[in-house]
Amino acid sequence: MSAPIPPAFQSPLLNRRRFLGDTGLGLGSIALTHLLGRQGLLAENADRREPLRPRIEPGHPYGARQSHFPPRAKNVLVIFCSGACSQLDTFDYKPELIRRHGQPMPGTEKLITFQGEQGALNKSPWEFRPRGQSGKMISDLLPHLGDLVDEMCFIHSMQGKTNTHGPGENYMSTGYTLDGFPSMGAWMTYALGSDDQSLPAYVAIPDSRGKPQNSVNNWAPGFLPAAFQGTEFNATNPIRNLARPGGVAASSDSATRSFLQRLNERHAERFPGDTELAARIASYELAARMQLTVPEVANLSSEPEHILRLYGADEGGTKIKDTRTAYARNCILARRLIEKGVRFVQLFNGAYQTGGEGVSNWDGHKDIANQYAVHGPVLDKPTAGLLIDLRQRGLLEDTLVVWCTEFGRMPTFQKGAKGRDHNPAGFTCWMAGAGVKKGFSHGATDEFGYKSIENVVTVHDFHATILHLLGLDHERLTYYHNGLERRLTDVHGEVVQAVLA
Amino acid sequence: MNPSKVSKTPVGEAGRRLRSWLGIASLWSLALSAAEVPSADSHWAFQPVVRPAIPVAKISAGAANPVDAFIQARLSESGLTPSSEADRGTLIRRLYLVMLGVPPTPEEVSAFLADLQPRAWERWLDRVLEDPRYGERWGRHWLDVIRFAESNGFETNRERLSAWRFRDYVIDAFNTDKPYDRFIREQIAGDALGVDVATGFLVGGPVDIVKSPDITLTAQQRADEIDDMLGTTGTSFLGLTLGCARCHTHKFDPITHTEYYSMAAIFSGVQHGERPLPSSPEQAASLAQIEDRIRDLEKRLDVFIPKAVPSSPTARKVLRPAVNSVRNEDRFAETEARFLRFTILASSGGEPCIDELEAGSGNLNVALASAGTKATASGSLAGYEIHKLEHLNDGRTGNARSWISSEAGKGWVQLEFPKAVRIDRVVWGRDREGNFKDRLTTQYRIELATEPGVWKTVASSEDRTPFAGESTKPAGPEYRFDGIADSEAAQGRRWLAELESARKQKGELAKSPTVYSGTFSQPGPTHRLHRGDPLLKRETVSPGTLALFQPLVLSTNAPERDRRLALADWIARSDNPLTARVIVNRVWQHQFGVGLVNTPNDFGKNGSKPSHPELLDWLASDLIEHGWSLKHLQRRILSSATWRQSGLPRPQALAVDAGSRLLWRFPPRRIEAEGIRDSILAVSGNLDRARGGPSFYLHEVDRENVYHYHPKEAFGPADTRRMVYAFKVRMEQDGIFGAFDCPDGSLVMPRRSVSTTPLQALNLFNSRFILDQSRTFADRLRREAGDQPESQVRAAWQLAFNRSPQPTEANEAMAFVRTEGLQAFCRGVLNANEFLFIP
Repeated sequence: MSAPIPPAFQSPLLNRRRFLGDTGLGLGSIALTHLLGRQGLLAENADRREPLRPRIEPGHPYGARQSHFPPRAKNVLVIFCSGACSQLDTFDYKPELIRRHGQPMPGTEKLITFQGEQGALNKSPWEFRPRGQSGKMISDLLPHLGDLVDEMCFIHSMQGKTNTHGPGENYMSTGYTLDGFPSMGAWMTYALGSDDQSLPAYVAIPDSRGKPQNSVNNWAPGFLPAAFQGTEFNATNPIRNLARPGGVAASSDSATRSFLQRLNERHAERFPGDTELAARIASYELAARMQLTVPEVANLSSEPEHILRLYGADEGGTKIKDTRTAYARNCILARRLIEKGVRFVQLFNGAYQTGGEGVSNWDGHKDIANQYAVHGPVLDKPTAGLLIDLRQRGLLEDTLVVWCTEFGRMPTFQKGAKGRDHNPAGFTCWMAGAGVKKGFSHGATDEFGYKSIENVVTVHDFHATILHLLGLDHERLTYYHNGLERRLTDVHGEVVQAVLA
Repeated sequence: MNPSKVSKTPVGEAGRRLRSWLGIASLWSLALSAAEVPSADSHWAFQPVVRPAIPVAKISAGAANPVDAFIQARLSESGLTPSSEADRGTLIRRLYLVMLGVPPTPEEVSAFLADLQPRAWERWLDRVLEDPRYGERWGRHWLDVIRFAESNGFETNRERLSAWRFRDYVIDAFNTDKPYDRFIREQIAGDALGVDVATGFLVGGPVDIVKSPDITLTAQQRADEIDDMLGTTGTSFLGLTLGCARCHTHKFDPITHTEYYSMAAIFSGVQHGERPLPSSPEQAASLAQIEDRIRDLEKRLDVFIPKAVPSSPTARKVLRPAVNSVRNEDRFAETEARFLRFTILASSGGEPCIDELEAGSGNLNVALASAGTKATASGSLAGYEIHKLEHLNDGRTGNARSWISSEAGKGWVQLEFPKAVRIDRVVWGRDREGNFKDRLTTQYRIELATEPGVWKTVASSEDRTPFAGESTKPAGPEYRFDGIADSEAAQGRRWLAELESARKQKGELAKSPTVYSGTFSQPGPTHRLHRGDPLLKRETVSPGTLALFQPLVLSTNAPERDRRLALADWIARSDNPLTARVIVNRVWQHQFGVGLVNTPNDFGKNGSKPSHPELLDWLASDLIEHGWSLKHLQRRILSSATWRQSGLPRPQALAVDAGSRLLWRFPPRRIEAEGIRDSILAVSGNLDRARGGPSFYLHEVDRENVYHYHPKEAFGPADTRRMVYAFKVRMEQDGIFGAFDCPDGSLVMPRRSVSTTPLQALNLFNSRFILDQSRTFADRLRREAGDQPESQVRAAWQLAFNRSPQPTEANEAMAFVRTEGLQAFCRGVLNANEFLFIP
């Protein structure tokens, strides 16, 4: 029923209301638009400033679509450390913080952050040392990632706008602190579709310990069509309802599928040319393909011993090792998905369901030395293994790896505690792979690592840059919702040119 | 931190939309001055609604309905003709799915097909509009528009356990055809109109309950809350994107930056939260009625209360009940007295406590200090304001107004009445509010005297069952029917049963329910916030409405409620150019899939123009003329030939208008998530039709500090009500139907997208829910159609598709049933496109 065409499935021209309004022929031109769309005449949109909405075939929401300009990256892999990973114990080296260890932070004696008052400046419990060719200073908490600094492009001047986890995760994942907005992955899937038609275009891999604080909101479609939501599974938990139901024999299952297909085909004969009916038929075919391909891609048993070892997925027996192995298996899964051409993979490290503050996530308020002594090793070797494996398979050529967290932490310890409070004023993220400089650092926080002061990068800028690397103009990738042309970057964002290779 | 000092683009809401998506930053980077406010002069939606003439000349023969006249006039302009009427089987299925959200039963289909009387269609329209499922279906549409959900959203996402009352209010409003202008006014200012539940609208949106200690961020959170209320009011009732004027004057519509804050001032005294509901006059009346009934029954049952027989416990075969901490009553033969002494001989532990001592005849309490009775005691526990001798007969019960003896396990209190009184009962307790059970008097003696010192024992604990710990039996007189004539005893038992049920009813009625409909307080002054930044306060702004139409300005200190009431009245005025148009368009959208204006929340200059402007205005004025009756509007649309057209495609028409927006046919469409689940349950025979009340859950809930909702895999009998009654969680979707573009109430959703995804297919084909429903559907077919595949297939076709199968369909289906079984067949049918589409 080519009738109610959901906004996303309309062609860009159709939505150029001004054009329609000016002609005064609004309706009459719709058919024309359809024709133009089919003939692919829509890409040449000369006006730089007009929204450029992807045209989506109703039957093939995941069909590959052209980017706005030639992309530097085809796929994105986001590694999200839930709980706010401290920049000061990982990647942001601050000699002054070490020197002034134990002293109050000047000018901020009365600073009240999320949980209360601040104590003294505290250096990291881990030493920093120069790593790689670039000699980048990295903390001993992450020795394996330290090996790879020459691949990484650090942004030390990130800045958020909320100091609570839920809104912070929303902000990093959707560009808004409020709930209900489409995630970055949903935007990219909406824009670009996928090259592979037997796997979901967008996969979210929650930590084996559970979901992040804001849960599915991190991979939600928001107001975009549900087709563009992240499909959630990991190496432990498969896609819901993927498997043939228990008690149904394979032959019966396939016979039922054929029976359904006949029912639908006969029904469709009465509605010739109806794209939505065709789309539903096609969706069952894709579902059937996914039933074969997803278990295959999620089955890590074919991974050789040396790969398991590379990721640190070969060890167990202690709680840390078990957790690390589970995360490492998710890392391997992420690589397998990227290998298959999945457009956007969002890999989580840290969870809230199985332990709040700092227990199974990076929220180190109380005792950062002991809490990060768990989280560091869980993250380090598997993530490093993932980068190495992507590199050795040539996948970093086309894949942009983004490491991020919702905000940073304070250079001070909280009064009466041995941990750091929330700090959106300055934190570190890094990128690696397609389109970004290697062994490069951009921006800086102040002498203690508290506030971003040099080349500040907002989350909107960060998003704009990621979209740019995919060949998308963040100001033109829009979706009309509730009276507005919405964007991932709201009305903000500038591409951080300095990090582009 | 002060973000504006360090960021190069202001963060927070500061500077939100400094640059438009158009990218012409320089043009829009500053708030426009008043002179630059987009004008309202010519925009169609801001013009008064004038009832247009019906284009009689252009209607083809047979267009009986004004709706058809407008539609056909537009069609003929494009060289199109309407389609013929759909077959009656299709019509009744369409009518049920659109209006009630479930397919008709085969019986309903047959009854409709057999109804060939004149005006049969109109009668069926009445029938459908009177069906309570209408409100369940259309109420859900409204709940989308106003972003209603039952959890807070944000990271803690806690439940709002009383929010369902608002959902029921909305459903009832549709079912009772509450005039739409009234519906608007109640939702904005129901507390002023005796409909407290209705303001659940204001606080239906998400709220961040984790308040930041940073005052900048806290102010931002509060500004977000008000923006949500204001924005939702603007889009839902007016089709205006008021939120765009938060940081600067609206770029397209005549809404200034200052006007935004005038509107914000209207909502600035509204806070999220629960409010107790005052009892309605009906409730109060039924409560009074029940209380009368209770008094009457208690009076009748009075004779069945056993009297105390203190001197000869053996005279009674059955002992009186043991004492309890809430209330004890000692009855005896009426006796004259000036003095009463209550002597405590033992307690359950510690110094005994009595919260109130009553004495009298019938219901008259003569022990009250206010009646002149004086109390004395052996000694009172010192040092407690809440435990004093004067509390013994002050007419107030409960631990906080009680007396405690100065001695453990003993003591006495004495009452001296102002004159001789006749007494037949003493009532006493430890804590009639039921909070404290310690310090209970377990052994006692009650004596009366007319002269000082001449005591006569009238009751004691001797003929009571010895106290052995608190029983769970309700406190109150225990009636005894032994030793009484059978017929009298039987009568007594009947009265007692009646009394018990009346008391239970009273308990239910007397509960003061709460509802998540916000709390109100008088706000301070509202300031315009430069660039929407709470730190950049500018001049004070008076509460008021838009200059767009009959502007209203209140004084800066106008009472909170008056502000909302004024806004509500302004929106609901019949000459407001937007209000009627916007709701007509919403109703049209849910009838045909697309509104006459396909940007239902934006009637401003950036929205799209109506496909049929005259029709929209005609229906809007017709709605107002008919007392804002939405059922009247529904009838207008449903009785049109346009609505009854066939949905089959015609190639020539498709070539001109592929989207069917000109309505040369009825555009078929997929039903929404709720409709799919409800229809599956209806067809399998499992749909629980129970209406209203607390929600059932589609999730298992982990109620930690942060709530987690895990979609259920298996559903019990309590989970088979219509999906509108499912607890609406923000951020977490139902595991099966969430994938069908079901909004989660985080944002307003004027129009759902209709996407088609493999996850939908997986959920509908493989979930345990579908397998379970297929099995019960199969059971139903066996039960209702017998063992023969042929009759089973026919019955399935009637139930699921509301038609008979074609011979080839029947043959294929029977062959499938024979080889794969009935359940597999049902699984296929429930997944079929024909089942999921409104034809």
